[in-house]
Amino acid sequence: MKNEKPLILPIKNIITENDRVKTFVFEYEMDFQPGQFVMTWIPGYDEKPFGIVSRKKGEFMITVAAVGESTKALHAMSAGDLVGFRGPFGSAFSLPARPAGGPDSGSIALIAGGYGMASLFNLAKEAREKGIDVHVFLGARTKEELLYLDWMKELGAVLHLSTDDGSEGYKGFNTDLFKNSVNGVILSETKNPSNHGSFADAQDDNIKFDKAYTVGPEIMEMKVAAICYKNNIPFELSLERYMKCGIGICGSCSVDPKGWRMCVEGPVIDGEKLKEITEFGKYHRTASGKVDPYPWTKTS
Amino acid sequence: MNLSINLAGIPLKNPTILASGIMGVSSASLKYCEESGAGAVSCKSIGHAERMGHHNPTVYSWGQGLTNAVGLSNQGVDEGVGLLKEMIETLTIPVIASCFADTVDNIAKVAEKLIASNPVAIELNLSCPNTENDFGLMFALDTDATTRAVSQVKKIAGKTKVFVKLTPDASNIVDVGKAAEAAGADALTATNTLSGMIIDIHTKRPILTNKFGGLSGPAIKPVSVRAVYNLYKAVKIPIIGTGGINTGEDAIEFIMAGATAVGIGSGIYYRGIDIFKKVTDEMSVFMEKNNYSSIEEMKGIANI
Repeated sequence: MKNEKPLILPIKNIITENDRVKTFVFEYEMDFQPGQFVMTWIPGYDEKPFGIVSRKKGEFMITVAAVGESTKALHAMSAGDLVGFRGPFGSAFSLPARPAGGPDSGSIALIAGGYGMASLFNLAKEAREKGIDVHVFLGARTKEELLYLDWMKELGAVLHLSTDDGSEGYKGFNTDLFKNSVNGVILSETKNPSNHGSFADAQDDNIKFDKAYTVGPEIMEMKVAAICYKNNIPFELSLERYMKCGIGICGSCSVDPKGWRMCVEGPVIDGEKLKEITEFGKYHRTASGKVDPYPWTKTS
Repeated sequence: MNLSINLAGIPLKNPTILASGIMGVSSASLKYCEESGAGAVSCKSIGHAERMGHHNPTVYSWGQGLTNAVGLSNQGVDEGVGLLKEMIETLTIPVIASCFADTVDNIAKVAEKLIASNPVAIELNLSCPNTENDFGLMFALDTDATTRAVSQVKKIAGKTKVFVKLTPDASNIVDVGKAAEAAGADALTATNTLSGMIIDIHTKRPILTNKFGGLSGPAIKPVSVRAVYNLYKAVKIPIIGTGGINTGEDAIEFIMAGATAVGIGSGIYYRGIDIFKKVTDEMSVFMEKNNYSSIEEMKGIANI
């Protein structure tokens, strides 16, 4: 059941992930599918979409970076303070279809950057529960910004880590790790083998991914999409657009040229549909509706 | 079933019109409504300058309907002119150009720029309830302001028809409708949202950042039907009945009250983007069953 009017919940507890990011825990059974989002009302400030994470029944979490006025206000809150939730809304990720009862349950790749892991965590959890091998290509600026490492180890996901500064894993982009893994090339990616999950000793070369999933900055998603198209790997991604209503009527998150609403037909889009979204990787719209080209499309 | 109508000289393949303020940010979002069966569409209201709108929450469902205070976010008329042109070129159905402004003079200036793109009709949004702090009271609360706005725009409208969107907040909506007609309006849209407020008792504050918002959806349908019914008696120009239409039966109720066409907005939330097709299919079923052969035949027949 989705909450139409903001459902008001007290913050149960707050996990400090690093000096910019906190995870807020709420005691409530959020009936969601991986990839969906909740419109999160920070009373007096704003309401924004966040991915939903749940590690156990009767509890869910959102992970938020303090980047603007409203998220800073949320960071200043304490346990017991009230936050409102509408949702869950939007489309969800789907696991690859495998022949029932087959010996091999298959393997998926999750490529996450920034806070993208928040939208992918429960997909990883669901996949592991079905016996699917989960390879997580997690990228961040520094070691401190790599999210949920312990939780993913607990799930038994294979972690391929990268940081911009080389403070953990491969120094560079997680998309390079993914590309090399698809091509059967092993980069010296792991400084600390203990980051690997329960089947860490498995050979990583010649991994045949049944499906890939990516959430993060659009430039990263573009690179993943290109790798997947080139190698014929089916994939899904979450396409973030400015949202106002979250319920499909205001038109703010409609994408060109089909008009699909990223709060209803999205945010999860598969590789075939993505081919029809011509604005992907090129521009998005601001709160006024004005087209705002991405910096990398502007000629220098 | 032939559901075609003639709205102030504009032929529509069916009487469903996407109401202004819903979707309407881009030509793609309007095209999506066309493909979903709309007879015509309205763009989101365009004003003289770019506006980001209010902070969220700006829209939500409260149980009996929706409430919104989006706050007239738009790109501003200089970009809006190009956008409108693109919308008219991209769509095959009529595009109604909605506009607003802070003063009567400014609404004429905005309208003039938009009219240069030759839209079939321009709708003067004289009744947005969510921008009082920026713009003062709605023009459509007042017969004088309505008269001045409509006559100024009418002077420069050329072939473009001038529609006027009325507010159910007016102390007498019929007087405002009559004033608009006398000033030269070609059609009336009745109604815009109804002003309201919803307070969350846990956080002890109104939920919308703007505090007040416009109510729409099923809760306001009887209010809008009454407005259409009374306007139909008082004016000769066509009326676009808008407010809480979710089904073909709802649309027929408005037509029987006197509407020529119907606006659909919040219904997209309740029934999906293909509400236009659903509503027109349901209208056909009703008409077949009850031996009506045209929309015209049903217009105003409940107005007794």
